[in-house]
Amino acid sequence: MGFFDALLGGGKKLKTAAPDRLFAMTTAYVAMETELDMKTTGAAGIVFQPLATSDFEQILRDTQELLAGTAEETGTALESSDDEHGYRWIILRDPDFEDLVVAMNTVSTELAAGGYGDRLLAAVFAFEQKGRRVHFIYNYKRGAFYPFVPSGGEQRRDSEAEMRIKAQLSDEGIPFEPELTRWFPLWDIPL
Amino acid sequence: MANSKAVFKRDSGLQARMLLTMFLLGLLYVGFAGVLFAAGAGAAVMAVVIGLFALAQLFFSDKLALASMGAKEVSPEEAPGLHAMIDRLCIQADLPKPKIAVADMDVPNAFAIGRSQKAATVCATTGIMRTLSPAELEGVMAHELAHVKNRDVLIMTVVSFFASIASMIMQFAFFFGGGGDDEDGGLPFIVVLLASALVYVISFFLMMSLSRYREFTADRGAALTTGRPSALASALMTISGAMQRVPETDLREAERMNAFFIVPASVKGSIKTLFSTHPPMEKRIERLQALEAQLQAA
Repeated sequence: MGFFDALLGGGKKLKTAAPDRLFAMTTAYVAMETELDMKTTGAAGIVFQPLATSDFEQILRDTQELLAGTAEETGTALESSDDEHGYRWIILRDPDFEDLVVAMNTVSTELAAGGYGDRLLAAVFAFEQKGRRVHFIYNYKRGAFYPFVPSGGEQRRDSEAEMRIKAQLSDEGIPFEPELTRWFPLWDIPL
Repeated sequence: MANSKAVFKRDSGLQARMLLTMFLLGLLYVGFAGVLFAAGAGAAVMAVVIGLFALAQLFFSDKLALASMGAKEVSPEEAPGLHAMIDRLCIQADLPKPKIAVADMDVPNAFAIGRSQKAATVCATTGIMRTLSPAELEGVMAHELAHVKNRDVLIMTVVSFFASIASMIMQFAFFFGGGGDDEDGGLPFIVVLLASALVYVISFFLMMSLSRYREFTADRGAALTTGRPSALASALMTISGAMQRVPETDLREAERMNAFFIVPASVKGSIKTLFSTHPPMEKRIERLQALEAQLQAA
């Protein structure tokens, strides 16, 4: 944000989605699977603010149709749900991780092309490691990933495990979020 | 279609007025600094001392403000809903996570303090969390985060720097009875005193109007972050309605914090717009409705 933006009360626009780095997940997955025993649960989701405007609804419907079209080849399943914070999730299911990332990319590109890139909150990939859930959250505005490991119980997270995962995968080309204050949790991820 | 849709147009009129206000303040302060220096070195020393005060204010006022409200920082375990809401707003507004505090009082209000985005604290009263629906509360918290994003605390502190010098000089004058008249060429003390009084009065009104502009900007920022201008408008209506029902003692206690509140807790009901830090509720709601109209038409 520039000096004058700050002086006059901030940029007039939200940041739009940073260059898409979702595919970094595909390359890193090999190492995650073989070295860290971290396996995809076959689910991933995109969470965003649904705007109460008519063309937004239309873009959502078009995206879902588009995905349904390609899903016949890849077998990716799609569903959507609203959470209690007023955000909408598009949830994609595909046992093949590569197809899953491609589908995730399709949805976010469609929403961005419709002009609603700034409404995208995050993309979430769900993994399982030694019987517990590990999430990789992609912050669209920052163009960066961070791991999120809920440790059970009300809003508890295992920060140690998260930082360890980041360290273990530091050479795999994942653009990790450098500032820990921006490792925002997402509770009750419906994946 | 472009990658990002300009759902909300720029409000260049508001920005122009804000710029003009800042310019006038700047002009006033430059003139005042001239008078101070003409009066001799004593004033320069005073300016340095007050500069240090301003710095101290910048660094400690947040803790003081929180303490005076009886607000306590809350962990995610203590206030899971509030934390989850602010987490998402921060991602959306591209802000680092601020500290979150809750003040146990019935006045439905919220405020943001802290000199920088990283040192910010956002505080809500238990009253506001009870009174508002989740979407409304989200609008209010987004408004406070917009203050953080716009660095309003820092800007208002900087802007009030010379006003505090002026008021200090007036206080000194009362202490010493204007006895410090130096005969070696400098301006007589009475001139400095009058200039101080004038600067204080004018800067007070300019600062109030700047503060009101920044409230509009924060409303706008909140609408932008949540994509729901009407939710904030409805929150403002709910709060202003509820403000009149709470006990007066609480209101007076809250009076000190007015500058950073979302709705000033006025005991009197209606003060003249010129004297207030916040624009009238109807004006704010009007502008939010205009934003909603833009959003729907986009």
